[in-house]
Amino acid sequence: MSLKENNERISYETRQRVWDVIEGPMIVHLVLGLSVFIVISPLLWELLTSFKTNEAVYNLNFIPADPTLSSYYDVLIARGYWKAMLNSIIISSTTTVIVILLSVPAGYAFSRFRFPFDNLIFIGVLFSRLFPPIGLIVPYYQIMTSLGLLNTLPGVIVAQVYLWLPLMVYIMRNFFISIPQELDESARVDGCTRLQAFKHVVLPLAKPGIAACAILTFLYSWREFLFSLIVTRNLDAQPISVAVYRFVGDVSVSWASLAAACVLALIPTAIVVFTFQRYIVSGLTAGALKQ
Amino acid sequence: MSDTKEDPTTMNRSESDQNGMTTGRSDIDTNVQIDNVTKIYDEGGEDVVAVEDVSIDIRRGEFLVFVGPSGCGKTTTLRTVAGLEEATEGRIVIDGVDVSGLEPRQRGVAMVFQNYALYPHMTVRENISFPLRIRKFPDDEIVSRVEEAAELLEISELLDRKPSDLSGGQQQRVALGRAIVREPSVFLMDEPLSNLDAKLRVQMRTELNDIHKRVGKTTIYVTHDQAEAMTLGDRVAVLNKGKLQQLAPPQELYDQPANKFVAGFIGEPAMNFIPTEIVPSGSGMDARTDVGTIELPEDIVTAVENWGGSHDQLTLGIRPEDLNDAELSEDQGSAGSSMEAFVHLVEPVGSDRFLTLRPDSDSHESMEFTARVDPDSDITQDRMVELTINRKNVHLFDERTGENITV
Repeated sequence: MSLKENNERISYETRQRVWDVIEGPMIVHLVLGLSVFIVISPLLWELLTSFKTNEAVYNLNFIPADPTLSSYYDVLIARGYWKAMLNSIIISSTTTVIVILLSVPAGYAFSRFRFPFDNLIFIGVLFSRLFPPIGLIVPYYQIMTSLGLLNTLPGVIVAQVYLWLPLMVYIMRNFFISIPQELDESARVDGCTRLQAFKHVVLPLAKPGIAACAILTFLYSWREFLFSLIVTRNLDAQPISVAVYRFVGDVSVSWASLAAACVLALIPTAIVVFTFQRYIVSGLTAGALKQ
Repeated sequence: MSDTKEDPTTMNRSESDQNGMTTGRSDIDTNVQIDNVTKIYDEGGEDVVAVEDVSIDIRRGEFLVFVGPSGCGKTTTLRTVAGLEEATEGRIVIDGVDVSGLEPRQRGVAMVFQNYALYPHMTVRENISFPLRIRKFPDDEIVSRVEEAAELLEISELLDRKPSDLSGGQQQRVALGRAIVREPSVFLMDEPLSNLDAKLRVQMRTELNDIHKRVGKTTIYVTHDQAEAMTLGDRVAVLNKGKLQQLAPPQELYDQPANKFVAGFIGEPAMNFIPTEIVPSGSGMDARTDVGTIELPEDIVTAVENWGGSHDQLTLGIRPEDLNDAELSEDQGSAGSSMEAFVHLVEPVGSDRFLTLRPDSDSHESMEFTARVDPDSDITQDRMVELTINRKNVHLFDERTGENITV
């Protein structure tokens, strides 16, 4: 082996060792640990703050010296925010049901049927979501006003359906595409009408996708802020995402109450995410890999 | 049976006559009639002809195979029979009833798909019984039919498993079971063996043949594998570019290919096509080629005389197995039935030796042809050899139309 070849080999081995360290478990764990810390620390701060009094918030102690549930009482009972929680549950649940009822057949149709202007119509559905929502606020506000739906739950629900339906149609279409068309065809040869083939064969297989869409719609509409802020005025129709904003006053911010309200707003979403995380992943990756 | 309400193909002839749906044919032996079927797809505003004017009458109990290269229209034709595609022109008649406008479920057909199309959320039992359950058969009949089919296919012990727990071969059997259990008028199979490995494919091929004999129902089978077509089919329909090239029993396809496409497609290795000029010789004719002059047998001379075209517009077709090592032949390569060629490559495969030949050592690759010689032959590569030709089996093709003028 010549000197040059020997040097090249040593240089190659050194490079490999460096890459082994970079790709090794130590660095990977460090990066993951840091990421988790960045995500978790504000939540932890919020949770601990919610157990402090409004005065104790300004102490430098991270752990509350004298833990109390007074902020939760203040938010839920004294200020009547239980109503905002209830509004959120009604809005998110109703939105989810409507979006699923519309996105499942629409996604199936876009995945299976060829009809005039099908691609154009599909792009049209997605196109409506390419605008930043703020650009649509004014016409939406005017329509809601003329329909007398301002500051009503139906007004907020219509907004949420409009916001999340296109994305869910897209996800459902991808999910149906991942289900081989031969299954519907086989069912039709076996004796099913198109609707029976959908009901007996396609729908049971699409359950993970439908679950993912339902969860995502619920989570997205739970946290939606802009449209809900514009079309509601008070707790008659305000969801929790808008209601917590009231703690941010012009002069001061009641941090402990705000933290308690935020924790309350987080609880349902946390339950949904932890319970159904498997479906969320399967829904988002549907169609990404050939099955 | 409850499905008789929805399945006009199960109606007796007088009923269908009253409905005005008969074909007017009285041939009760014809089970499926593919009548001038054309299928045109619209792809981005452009018409693509997938199937062009295909007509085939399939007899009751016959095993008909569609074979051809990818995109030849064989699967489209099958799907048109199933009702999964609508013919642009022409009609499909099953048991004397024009089913062209009917849904797949109303046609009395069962289909096995290339990827089996088993319902993943159902057990094997539920899969097989699905066509009966959807037609609301009585429970005891469902049980007995499923068990009967499972026994026939030797999958009784798999009935409570899910398709994902089965091997490819087992999934294949379940798909067959789901088709058999309905006792349909016609079985449609779309490349059902193509997802299996080579060994299992051969085994399942034999079993399919056996099942067809026992069940005795008309089967239309699509494959791109000529070995499957030749071994399974009572008749084979060769398709290319949407057109029916030839419809004949397997041996006839091999012995008397209608045109150059069929001659090249059927047979492994493929038939050799050698440019030739036909010249008069004494009372007969010779085919003059780059590798020698072949004296044509009498029947082929007659065919050339009847043909009437120009004698320099013909191509000679010789199958590799009709060429052999002259040293091993009894007549030692007599004049007019032998050729000389340069051996470019020798590939022994045990039962035979495949020779890749060229007219001489300087010839271009495009002039290559193949011989399948006796394994005892001691021919080595990179030398000139003499080969005998089985003159009875040579073919002549019209260069312009591809038509075989010798059949």
